[in-house]
Amino acid sequence: MSDGKGPQVTIKSTDPIGKSLSFVLWNCDLALANALRRIMIAEVPTMAIDLVDIENNSSVLVDEMLAHRLGLIPLISSNTKDITYTRDCNCEEYCENCSVVLNLNVRCDSDRNRDVTARDLVSSNPNVTPYFANEDDPGVVICKLRKGQELRMRCIAKKGTAKEHAKWSPVAAVGFEYDPHNRLRHTTYWVETDALKEWPVGPNGDDEHEIPVDPNEPFDYNAKPNRFYFVVEGTGVLDPKEIVEKALLIIHAKVVHTMQFLQKMKW
Amino acid sequence: MNAKREKSINSAKQTNGTSATAAVGPEGNTHFHTLTRQAQAKRPSQAKPHYPRTAALSAPHIESYNSMFLFGSGATVEGLLDKGLRDIGVKSVFVGKDKLEVWISNLVVGKPLLHTSHAATSVIYPSECRERGISYTAKLQGKLNWRVNGGPTMSEPRSFGDMPVMVRSSRCNLENASPSALVKHKEDSSEFGGYFIVNGIERLVRLLIVPRRNHVIAIERGSFQKRGPTYSIYGVSIRCVREDMSSQSMTLHYLNDGALQLRFIYRKSEYMVPVLLVLRALRETSDRDLFMRFTQGKTGNTFLTDRVELLLRSFKGLTVHSRDECRAYLGSKFHVMMDSADDLTDVEAGSEFLKNVVLVHLTKDEDKFNLLVFMIQKLYSLVAGECAVDNPDSPQHQEVLLCGHLMAAYMKEKALDILEGISNQVRMEQRMKPVSVDFHDNIGKKIEYFLATGNLVTNSGLDLQQTSGYTIVAEKLNFYRYLSHFGSIHRGAFFAELKTTTVRKLLPEAWGFLCPVHTPDGGPCGLLNHLSHTCRIITTPLDVSSLPSLIASLGVGQMTGMGPKVVGPEISRNSKLSDDEDSAVEIDPRVAKKIMDSTVLSVQLDGKCIGYATAATCRRVADTLRYWKVRSENNVPLDLEIGYVPPSNGGQYPGLFLFSTAARMMRPVEYLPTKQVDMVGSFEQVYMDIACVKEDVVAGVTTHIELHPTSILSVVANLTPFSDFNQSPRNMYQCQMGKQSMGTPVHNYPHRTDNKLYRLQTGQSPIVRPHLHNEYGMDEYPNGMNAVVCTIAYTGYDMEDASILSKSSHERGYGYGTVYKSEFIDLGEKQKRNRGASNGTPFLHFGLFGPKGDTWMKPEMIEKLMAFLDEDGLPKVGVRISDGDPFYAYYNDIDGDVTVVKFKSFETAYVDEVRLIGNDEGTQELQKVHIKLRIPRPPVIGDKFSSRHGQKGVISQKWPTIDMPFSESGIVPDVIINPHAFPSRMTIGMFVESLAGKSGALHGHAQDATPFQFDEDHAAADFFGEELKAAGFNYHGNEAMYSGITGQEFKADIYIGVVYYQRLRHMVSDKYQVRTTGPIHNLTHQPIKGRKRFGGIRLGEMERDSLLAHGVSFILQDRLMNCSDYSQCHVCRLCGSILSPVAIATKMHSGGIDGSVGDTLSEARDAIECLTCKTSKGIDVIAIPYVFRYLCAELVAMNVKLKLDIS
Repeated sequence: MSDGKGPQVTIKSTDPIGKSLSFVLWNCDLALANALRRIMIAEVPTMAIDLVDIENNSSVLVDEMLAHRLGLIPLISSNTKDITYTRDCNCEEYCENCSVVLNLNVRCDSDRNRDVTARDLVSSNPNVTPYFANEDDPGVVICKLRKGQELRMRCIAKKGTAKEHAKWSPVAAVGFEYDPHNRLRHTTYWVETDALKEWPVGPNGDDEHEIPVDPNEPFDYNAKPNRFYFVVEGTGVLDPKEIVEKALLIIHAKVVHTMQFLQKMKW
Repeated sequence: MNAKREKSINSAKQTNGTSATAAVGPEGNTHFHTLTRQAQAKRPSQAKPHYPRTAALSAPHIESYNSMFLFGSGATVEGLLDKGLRDIGVKSVFVGKDKLEVWISNLVVGKPLLHTSHAATSVIYPSECRERGISYTAKLQGKLNWRVNGGPTMSEPRSFGDMPVMVRSSRCNLENASPSALVKHKEDSSEFGGYFIVNGIERLVRLLIVPRRNHVIAIERGSFQKRGPTYSIYGVSIRCVREDMSSQSMTLHYLNDGALQLRFIYRKSEYMVPVLLVLRALRETSDRDLFMRFTQGKTGNTFLTDRVELLLRSFKGLTVHSRDECRAYLGSKFHVMMDSADDLTDVEAGSEFLKNVVLVHLTKDEDKFNLLVFMIQKLYSLVAGECAVDNPDSPQHQEVLLCGHLMAAYMKEKALDILEGISNQVRMEQRMKPVSVDFHDNIGKKIEYFLATGNLVTNSGLDLQQTSGYTIVAEKLNFYRYLSHFGSIHRGAFFAELKTTTVRKLLPEAWGFLCPVHTPDGGPCGLLNHLSHTCRIITTPLDVSSLPSLIASLGVGQMTGMGPKVVGPEISRNSKLSDDEDSAVEIDPRVAKKIMDSTVLSVQLDGKCIGYATAATCRRVADTLRYWKVRSENNVPLDLEIGYVPPSNGGQYPGLFLFSTAARMMRPVEYLPTKQVDMVGSFEQVYMDIACVKEDVVAGVTTHIELHPTSILSVVANLTPFSDFNQSPRNMYQCQMGKQSMGTPVHNYPHRTDNKLYRLQTGQSPIVRPHLHNEYGMDEYPNGMNAVVCTIAYTGYDMEDASILSKSSHERGYGYGTVYKSEFIDLGEKQKRNRGASNGTPFLHFGLFGPKGDTWMKPEMIEKLMAFLDEDGLPKVGVRISDGDPFYAYYNDIDGDVTVVKFKSFETAYVDEVRLIGNDEGTQELQKVHIKLRIPRPPVIGDKFSSRHGQKGVISQKWPTIDMPFSESGIVPDVIINPHAFPSRMTIGMFVESLAGKSGALHGHAQDATPFQFDEDHAAADFFGEELKAAGFNYHGNEAMYSGITGQEFKADIYIGVVYYQRLRHMVSDKYQVRTTGPIHNLTHQPIKGRKRFGGIRLGEMERDSLLAHGVSFILQDRLMNCSDYSQCHVCRLCGSILSPVAIATKMHSGGIDGSVGDTLSEARDAIECLTCKTSKGIDVIAIPYVFRYLCAELVAMNVKLKLDIS
């Protein structure tokens, strides 16, 4: 970077339940910022149910729908480094090293319908359990059972990334913005009369108030975006801070891997 | 989000039947009613249906079916069937001198019961019939009565077979069932019936348009001239309907020589009668009397008097004078046609003819006479050009043929057939004991055949224009399609073949009765219509007995002869303007008044002349009656139609026509003077002043106002959000596409055995919905899902109506569907096929092993089979099977063989259900099973989706989330569509929906999308724009977005919002076709066609043209020759024939060392010789398409030689 300092991060706010984090990445290139965004969405490994052995399913939901719903349940994934990818594991289908088994055995015997929720999943690994916002959180509803209906199944959670399937994504959404006042003129606002009046300026716009907005300011053709406003909204499986850290580590690992590759190569 | 805004469970609007004036508007409909629906699902109502409007959808079907058993509420409990039997009367047979009279009475249909010996009272419910694939029927019983020589009446109860029962009719075991009772009997809580179950399939009789009954219409038709030498193009016709709903049409023709002929069709043969003969047979009358009647005082009208004179003169030739002479003459001619009893005199036969054929809706001869006179007057008026022709394609002159009415008429005919069958047998066998006469006529079976095929097998034609296509399957593809069957109304198969498009036109007379939007495009366009959602069809008779006296009290006279003096050209200067002016007539008001006061009009009630009055009086009577009927005073029923046709200059023939019969279309509108709901019929509406909205009201003219502008739309058309913003064809397309989307067809999946059932697993309640969505309970049957849609050209994969789907959305379950396929396996039928009729005990049994566990199979094979099948030979529930896997197995007693039937399918499926089907008693050995297969259908590239605005497209790419564009808040669209989809199609409604959906999602409430809510001053874009602004978004729904690939902001801001998307049932997995080599046609050696047979896709002439234009001759050669019917053959260069070279046996032996011919054709060339040239010198091998060889052979057969020039 021109000032020699490299990219900087300023944390703006974290939300009280720890699900989202907003920060500013500045003194940084657009490519790097977008890479961070993409990696946070798609490449941070998490745990999710991938295989379901259904022993009995007498509920109204068909097997594949039930399996699909189970796959989307967020599982706490802070300790993914201890778990290997199945593809890198020596085992045939799955084993303790590359998977976590969650059992679901529910039967409704009362006259009232019973909600089967993520609370009913019994994990073989205390580090990989369904995510609950707090003690009172009843958990994600998987299915409802009426009297006599039963679910009996083994769910095998595996480590994976959202590149493969969205269920492994640690984030619900990643907010990403630069140049809230459109000084770079990357976009043209569609207006009836006045862009300033018709286009609401988001919270990030206020952030740039320290830099005065002068409508008569001459346009700088060489200007490049260098402040990027991120909002990382996690699904709960990982702390947003962790998501960012892990994403950065993944970038780092990619660069290191390339470096190693280059070094090994005989030029 | 759904539950967040839900405030109270009781907030659900309960709107009943016709009072659709409930508050609607942008604020009136912002709840999802999630909790209400949940409560209803948990504890269905014990009393009323949850959605009365949905429950009323089948009303015309059910009510008309019920009317067969109970029609009207008089002192005598009588149905249409009883009336029909009464009309048939007694059939007489003569054997020698003995007279036998036979008749049927007391036709009764019971309730559907199981045919069991022990538990005789156990009832059967529709769901059992569906599951077992049988018909839902009840015993049809009646009494056969006879009398010999007028002696004592004998009678015997007889069974007439099993009559199909309409679900939820008065014969059905689910009549009046509450939602909770319906659920108990394995139905949906909103099951509204109206269909029959025939062999497990739900079928209904589609409504059919027929000419309005008992009303004379003027017709001008070129084909009339073909009837005979002097026939003109003019005629008047009337479709007369008896009390029992059977009908007989008559046409009165005008002949150029002034004569009038009455034409009718009886038992499919056409007959003509001079009308004067009929008139004179009806009543003792004189020429003077007739003259006075026809001219009605208009003696100055020489056109009329000349023709009447000619008419009267022409009759002189017949030399019959008195009433009885005329009757006897008619009787002598029609005795045989009528198949009248042999002992009737000619006069009696003539009377019977008048009763059964002439104007059959009237019973008194005097009435028939009067109406015939009216017909003649109208015809002369038409010929003179004083009145216009009536348009038979206009709903004004139409009514509806209802299921029950058709069935009643059909059963009446079948009952008559039985009597005729009996009399024929008696005649032939000279027996006098009808008890021993066997008749195998099973009315129930015939009705069932009618319902199963839609074919009317009839010898009278039933006065209908078509013999087939009456019934349709009530497909449960989704709820939209299902419910629209019950409101669909067809113009008739005859009109489908017509080359002219006039019958298909949308006429202003259809306003409010037939939906202008909901008709398919293509073949049945304009012929297959749908009733507007408020249109009702009258099914009960009205009590109009007091009407004639009421009308008389209002000044309608009974005079039949002279009318007041005809209007002269001079106008009294003293005449004043009065309120009675007919403002529609644009002539001098004083002249108008004069006309009103001097024109005498006929007043008719259901085609019976009940009086004559001046136009002014008629108008006053009409107004008064309307006031009374709305206020239900003086016993004037609300459903009475008061059609006052004012006198006009060359318009419709004037008169005051009252209609009270069933089968009319009527609709509710508000009567302005009293602010009450009035029912308006399609005849009267033409002459009424009904405002559409408040702004349209003209003081002193407007009498009525629409309850809501959406009243003109059908149910399905009403469910298009903001349809008033769209270009109209787009709304038509949506009506079609809504009906082919995957959705929630039913709730009782485990009890359905439909051939194919499409189910959307992740359906949602739309955020943007018209208010009728709630009233019809559409949230119970979701038909799509809310998608974040972004209108942008991105990566090029959204060109030409393709759309891009976000891979993550797909993985989270967007548009996930399932197809259920059913198969019935009946071992009984296999046995019949194999061995003819067996002795009753089956020799095929389901099972993997024989009775003693015996089998010829090796253990490892059994192990393989057991992965799919159980010991009983049936597949395991939940198992996944693909093509070639074992499906089921059965054991053959006779040869001890076990047959394993393999599963044949393009797709992998799961066994969802295996249903064991027995007989009524449940004692039979298992011979029939039903296997339901479940095929998961996640959306794949090539699957079709559409919004609710006729914007359909296929998925062309599933981009990963990270590559998708995103907004500043991180929202990634589910679907990307191309902006080019909009300019030419002008579906602004979709933009508005997107805007409304976005703000609804942001604020967490539903949005009202009822059409006609917004106008220029209160624009939809402003209303929703303000909402968006309040949520901190751009007023116009645009957002700055970024490329997911580079992270750079787009050059333009992007329109993004929430639109409800439907997944259409057209899926690639049903349609993809691929082939390299495969089966070929035997004769041509070209690839066969058809996906199922693994055929190829034709590269047709036009494709060939384009390849030629491209100059890609190698591809052309490859497609048309190498990949098609490439073949090699011998040709004789000398004679140029490819047919003459033949293999010579002797040479073949000497040719090869071991006697073989050689590997290739060229090696064997020496063994080939030309038959004509007698040498193998010129033999060569060439490559030709095989069909060419065939062509040569065919030409040779025609003595044509085809010579090839080989160089």
